[in-house]
Amino acid sequence: MNEGISLPVSGNNKSWTAPTGRRTDEWSEALVLIGKSQDRAAFTRFFRHFAPLIKAFALSGSNLSANHADELVQEVMLKVWQKAGGFNPEKAAASTWVYTIARNCRTDMFRRLQKFDTPLAAEDFNFELEEEEPFAVLHTRRGSDRIRELMGELPPDQAQILAKVYMEGKSHSEAANELDLPLGTVKSRVRLAIQKLQVHMEKA
Amino acid sequence: MVNHHPTADFLTDYATGAMPPAQAACISGHVNYCEQCRRSIEQLQDIGGALLERLPPAAVSESVLDNVLARLDEPAPLSFDTSKRGLTDTAIPGLLQRLINGDFSELVWRKITGSLSVSYLKTGDEHHEFALYRIAAGGQIPEHDHEGSEMTLVLQGGFSDESGHYGPGDFVYRKPSETHAPTAIQSEECICLAVMDAPLRFTRWQHRWLNPFLQLRAG
Ligand SMILES: [Zn+2]
Repeated sequence: MNEGISLPVSGNNKSWTAPTGRRTDEWSEALVLIGKSQDRAAFTRFFRHFAPLIKAFALSGSNLSANHADELVQEVMLKVWQKAGGFNPEKAAASTWVYTIARNCRTDMFRRLQKFDTPLAAEDFNFELEEEEPFAVLHTRRGSDRIRELMGELPPDQAQILAKVYMEGKSHSEAANELDLPLGTVKSRVRLAIQKLQVHMEKA
Repeated sequence: MVNHHPTADFLTDYATGAMPPAQAACISGHVNYCEQCRRSIEQLQDIGGALLERLPPAAVSESVLDNVLARLDEPAPLSFDTSKRGLTDTAIPGLLQRLINGDFSELVWRKITGSLSVSYLKTGDEHHEFALYRIAAGGQIPEHDHEGSEMTLVLQGGFSDESGHYGPGDFVYRKPSETHAPTAIQSEECICLAVMDAPLRFTRWQHRWLNPFLQLRAG
């Protein structure tokens, strides 16, 4: 018996990844179903998984009451239903897509609560990536998988800072105040974390 | 070809939603021209998605689900179509088009010097002025500094200063008290978007008399 060599068997082998950027995980597929055929069962499954995460996001570090957090969950989930047709599993992971909607709704809710008068909604700042070459799609896909893998390996101080700026929506200087750290330390921790997650940045 | 990009700090604040609207509109304008920064922002948003997946879930009552299910047939609100934005060197970024409500020529331009005029736009951001500056071909903005910071995005034409040449889509950030005297390229008038948190201050005696007229117009 030669145990040292095993050839990948296409079709049945779970670790074999098809050379496309299309995501075939449960939540991407649910979103596609919701978008294509207004599938309420798929939406309900999606809700049961994501609503508690959106609520946790709403409550993390913010001054939102439990009522406002529930209101945010409703707004985000309604947008999920309305916008699912525009979800493209080649371009984004389901959780990233949900994150951007939740972030925008939270920004708008804060502005509403503070009676901040602006002609712009947070989603006006969104942009779409162009239709892309399969290679570029695959590249993007690998980048986003890698970020999820490397996330668990971040040192605690860097993970803490990322949670502050992403989940709590704090600016670098707000994070510095709350953690009682110099602004420069906060900035360099965020930068280090982003480097470790291998996010590519152009030189400014 | 875009050569000057926002720093990682700016792109992160943009991706996490922590950036004030006037500055975010400027970054979004750059991203309109710059595919590399679009990709960086996509990846930065992936960090948000990955963190969201890892949050400890908070219980949501069934009544919230029922409320949402009952509202699914409501018509979706009209939203600004983000998908039409092209990646070109000449088009005005979509978000700006909306704030301008048309073309550069339809704006009210106020003259500051013979070769420099300004048009103020409203973003609702009470800490930042959001304005378009128009410099005549070959014209110079008198040497100035800032009590605050300045983000600049070139929309048309180009300019040069001590630190380089800037063309459409290029992003420049000046910290408080950095002095510069940009000169527009000879061949074409230059239009820039500038986002400031304090008024600019001319530093040479010939132009200092203008300073009292340059109040910050935030909002
Ligand atoms: Zn760029």
